[in-house]
Amino acid sequence: MLRVNEFVEVSVNQTGEPVGFSWRGDSYLVVSRPVRWFARREWWRESDRAYRGIGAGVVEMEMWRLNAGIRSKGGLTSTQNAAQFELVRGADASAASSKWRLVRVFA
Amino acid sequence: MSQFTHLHVASAFSGHYGVTRPEHLAEAVQAMGGTALAITDRNGLYGAVKHIGACLQLGLDPIVGVDLAILDSDAKPVGRAVVLAHGHDRGAGWATLCKLVSVAHKHGKKQPVGLTIEQLAQLVQSGSEETGYVATATVLLSPDNPFGRLALGASRDSALHALQEWSQHFVAHGALAVEIVSWLTQPGAEWSTTQAQRLLDLAETLGIPAVLTNAVRYLSPDDALTADVLDAARHLEPLGMFQPQPNAQAWLKPHQAMVDHAMEICRDYRRAQKLLDATAALANRCRLEPVSDCGWGKPKTPEKATLGIDGNPFELLWQRAHEGIHWRYPNISQAKLQQVQHRLAQELMTIHKLEFATYFLTVADVAQMIRDMKIRTAARGSGAGSLVNYTLGISGVDPIENDLLFERFLSTERSSLPDIDIDVESARRHEIYRAIFKRYGSNRVTLLSMQSTYRGRGAVRDSGLALGLEEDRIDEIAKNVWRFSARSFRAATSKKPELAGLAQELETDRTMNLLVDITERLDRLPRHISMHPCGVILGDATLLNLTPVEPSGIELPMSQFDKDDMDPMGLLKLDVLGVRMQSSMAYAVQEIQRVSGKTLDLDAIPLDDPETFRTIRTTNTLGIFQIESPGQRELTGKHQPTVFNDLTIQISLFRPGPMKGNMIAPYLDGRHGFAKAHYPHPDLEPILRETFGVVIFHEHVLRIFNQMTKCGLAKADELRRSMEDPRKKPLIEKFFREKSAEHGYSASVIEEVWGTLEGFSSFGFCKAHGAAFAMPTYQSAWLKTHYPTEFVAGLFTHDPGMYPRRLLLAEARRLGVQILPLDVNKSTDEYRVEALPDGSLAVRLALTEIQNVSQNEIKRIIKNAPFKDLGDFYLRAEPSRRTLENLGLLGALDGVSGVTAESISAIVDSDSLKATRGDVMAKVRQLNAVSKRPKLDPSQPTLDFIDLTETMPRGNPAPSVEENVVNELKLMKLDVTQHVIELYREMLDEMGVVRSDELVGLRNRTEVLVAGVRVATQTPPMRSGKRVVFISLDDGAGCSDATFFDEAQQRCSHVLFNTRLVLVAGKTRRTGVRGVSIMAENAWDLKDLYKEWRKRKEQTGTGQQTMPEAQLQSA
Repeated sequence: MLRVNEFVEVSVNQTGEPVGFSWRGDSYLVVSRPVRWFARREWWRESDRAYRGIGAGVVEMEMWRLNAGIRSKGGLTSTQNAAQFELVRGADASAASSKWRLVRVFA
Repeated sequence: MSQFTHLHVASAFSGHYGVTRPEHLAEAVQAMGGTALAITDRNGLYGAVKHIGACLQLGLDPIVGVDLAILDSDAKPVGRAVVLAHGHDRGAGWATLCKLVSVAHKHGKKQPVGLTIEQLAQLVQSGSEETGYVATATVLLSPDNPFGRLALGASRDSALHALQEWSQHFVAHGALAVEIVSWLTQPGAEWSTTQAQRLLDLAETLGIPAVLTNAVRYLSPDDALTADVLDAARHLEPLGMFQPQPNAQAWLKPHQAMVDHAMEICRDYRRAQKLLDATAALANRCRLEPVSDCGWGKPKTPEKATLGIDGNPFELLWQRAHEGIHWRYPNISQAKLQQVQHRLAQELMTIHKLEFATYFLTVADVAQMIRDMKIRTAARGSGAGSLVNYTLGISGVDPIENDLLFERFLSTERSSLPDIDIDVESARRHEIYRAIFKRYGSNRVTLLSMQSTYRGRGAVRDSGLALGLEEDRIDEIAKNVWRFSARSFRAATSKKPELAGLAQELETDRTMNLLVDITERLDRLPRHISMHPCGVILGDATLLNLTPVEPSGIELPMSQFDKDDMDPMGLLKLDVLGVRMQSSMAYAVQEIQRVSGKTLDLDAIPLDDPETFRTIRTTNTLGIFQIESPGQRELTGKHQPTVFNDLTIQISLFRPGPMKGNMIAPYLDGRHGFAKAHYPHPDLEPILRETFGVVIFHEHVLRIFNQMTKCGLAKADELRRSMEDPRKKPLIEKFFREKSAEHGYSASVIEEVWGTLEGFSSFGFCKAHGAAFAMPTYQSAWLKTHYPTEFVAGLFTHDPGMYPRRLLLAEARRLGVQILPLDVNKSTDEYRVEALPDGSLAVRLALTEIQNVSQNEIKRIIKNAPFKDLGDFYLRAEPSRRTLENLGLLGALDGVSGVTAESISAIVDSDSLKATRGDVMAKVRQLNAVSKRPKLDPSQPTLDFIDLTETMPRGNPAPSVEENVVNELKLMKLDVTQHVIELYREMLDEMGVVRSDELVGLRNRTEVLVAGVRVATQTPPMRSGKRVVFISLDDGAGCSDATFFDEAQQRCSHVLFNTRLVLVAGKTRRTGVRGVSIMAENAWDLKDLYKEWRKRKEQTGTGQQTMPEAQLQSA
């Protein structure tokens, strides 16, 4: 497992699920049904403020686990080369402008 | 598709589990388009009545359940379940739920609240093998159960087996369901979609209905953070020290989100539909019909037979009320009798119309029972306005004599059960509760509970705990949280001088910022449930089917509903309030009887005793009910009461309403003739004459409405109440203007009167309440005037007042009441009055005053007294080493050791015959050095033993007066020998500090210094909204009151709230004939000044002995 912590560009479908992303100059295509969950954050260690209305982003983060492979020239991806990735979607509410971070890669 | 209904929702009334108040949850569901909502608080129905009320108002169907722990056979919690009451079954489901909750609490704090699976099965199902079983409630098994955890493992069979083992107990249709929840946690974890999928599979395999919930803890995702803080408060551990909630998903999700959950779990449209249908079906079965299911709004009183009534209760009430006339009005004139009978008949007709006869008979029955127990009682509140209450003996205030109105208390325009509050001796309150339980049966009576809510300090404390701050740090911050709600904590830091330090930290300190933020979040949330200080619920034999109960702090069962739930539930609440002043007065009366043999009926003393009013007018009102606070003392000085009604007025004036409404000054101006009383119209003069034209009482408003519109007093009270509602006010105004004009009042009169009524609406006070309070005020003043020694003994024994006990001591000194030191042969656990050889009376200090003496030690001393000498005491009273030493230091052993008054503090040479307290202490040290106390066996006295007890050392110097005072303060917090300020006298004299009794002789605006022990700090609400701080300093000669405005507070706010010995500089300000207060300019800690002064003394080598540091520390 490779721990990383890098912002990545992610494209999503209509329901907000990631379908592809680019990382370190390569373009990846999602080849499995992505799984989403919410993991908690220790705001009392990390956060500067906790006022009413600050939003749930202080308490939890949205995690995605998916299999993806590098997009080849023809636009197809070989599933054999696919790896598992864990992405965190930023706290920003709107899906379009939210920032994604890649946190783990399982080769 | 029908709207999704949430069936598992914890409200804020869930013991630090839920976050949102029931009303807000219901409002949200209505806004989302829902038709029903459940409340399932943890361990009880604490929020249920509020939930039902909110649902009714919003047009939702209420559903009620409880979230309970499931216990194993050793009463250890193994999981949780929600039990939902079925509805539309004439209360069977509701009764099941109430009883089930009561059973879950049966063992109080001795074991966790919960039920075994067998108990649950038994409670929700009824019937037999032959007739079949019927369920009256559904048990919803949470994923948080053994089978839920097993479902996450590899062996499906073991999970299936575990679920089956439980499910086999539930044979009735609809008795059991499995709860499917996904909080969208990491796949494979608890509360994950994976777990939900597997549980759905298990339920389907076993044919158990499965329903979808979101196990809701809060309204919106943002509230999850508040839930974290509440979790810390519940665990009593800082965040990070326990397993926190997995994420922020337990919120009240809308319909579509729940449908999406169903799809994500089922991955199949039909299966999802089935899950949602089963959820809707269960919701339908549980929709409650509040009136037929919960007895909503139907008044319930004990059955006639319980009250010993056969026949018509109203006829009996009529008869009893009339019988009381001759008791209350002996030798009544014919004219007065007619007046009394007329009013009585009118009141009784109202009671009859409202069908409250049984209610009044019940309250009268309780009042009679209390009197039969020889316990002092008094009514309080608007009930004192009722003549029926007076002749039935419920109230002791004559409503005719005091001009009080029945309509303020009860009228046909309102049908809610009236509140009758009875004040009793606090020390015997529990005795009364037990007697009520005994008389009506424990199936008809419960105590009332109350939910305390987070206010400033509590919120800071629990927030500090959650963040893991050090105890001292939390204390320091909490100490300065003063008179503002937690919600405005951040705003307060920039305004209050005492929070300036915190404000500065907020600029840099992350933890402090978090503290302020989460403190604000906790504001007003329920904090914990406790026994209501005075409420008793009286019902009929079905009471325990209507309310769940749990053991209270005094073992008697307590309803889980609070006072606001009583009226909606139609439950009769009687407030039996313990009042320490009633105990103090009863004690004084008892001591008068014991010492002098005189029997005194305090309720029969004349109410026009000039000496009593003279006492009050001196403003030395300490110990007198209701008028002893600094503000009331100042008002007494200005007001100078001469008759009973003056007391009623004064007590009513000194309330937040009349103070904010600026009623005091115009009233005083009228009274002292500075301004001529103004009446808008001659018709209003009879109504307002007593207050010189100022509208103070609710009763005034009723009479004005009635006089000008002829609407009748009952309607007038409705108008008064409605005026507080901004939506209704325009209607009232229209009615008033039109009707008054019809009755011939001019436009200018109407304009002026309406202006007054409008301005008054939220400020006035109920005169009946004031009059009810004035009675014990007068009685305590009368005792203080005529029996000061016995009165002081009562005050010391029952501690009714707002001041520290050492101030009582100063007042006793000022009154010339002799205080006798502790003496193991004479002191008990009460302050006894002793007749001295010269015939005068004195009060003996009680043993309970000593800090750190155990109850058992005190019991042994009382039981074994008198003792013939110190050794005898040592052997028979068996004091601990520390107690023996403390008793010695306080002089309690002087009497048994032959120490006399002259030798207490004198230095006696070694061959003197008289023992000193120094000798006593030497002996105490000898006794304490013995490793094991010899057994007391009179038949075998050993030589050692005789030696130990009989010889008394001689020649040890007695401690100085100063040392005695310091010991007294340290061990009793009372400076008995002399006032603590005397220790600083040399310095104070040098500085020219004025004594409080000298102030009255000074000119206005004289620059003065005053010093003393800070006995009270108050920040009353002010019309301007600016904060004013009043502090009172006691210097042994009396109290001086100083006022600090903004600028002065800036200079010394730290001293005003936290320092004990204070020196104030300021100017005198005359406030009345006997009133002087000080406009303060600055204040200092007296001990700090002393340290400076002592240093200077030591440098210059002048002055006598100064106090060494150790002594100063405890002085």
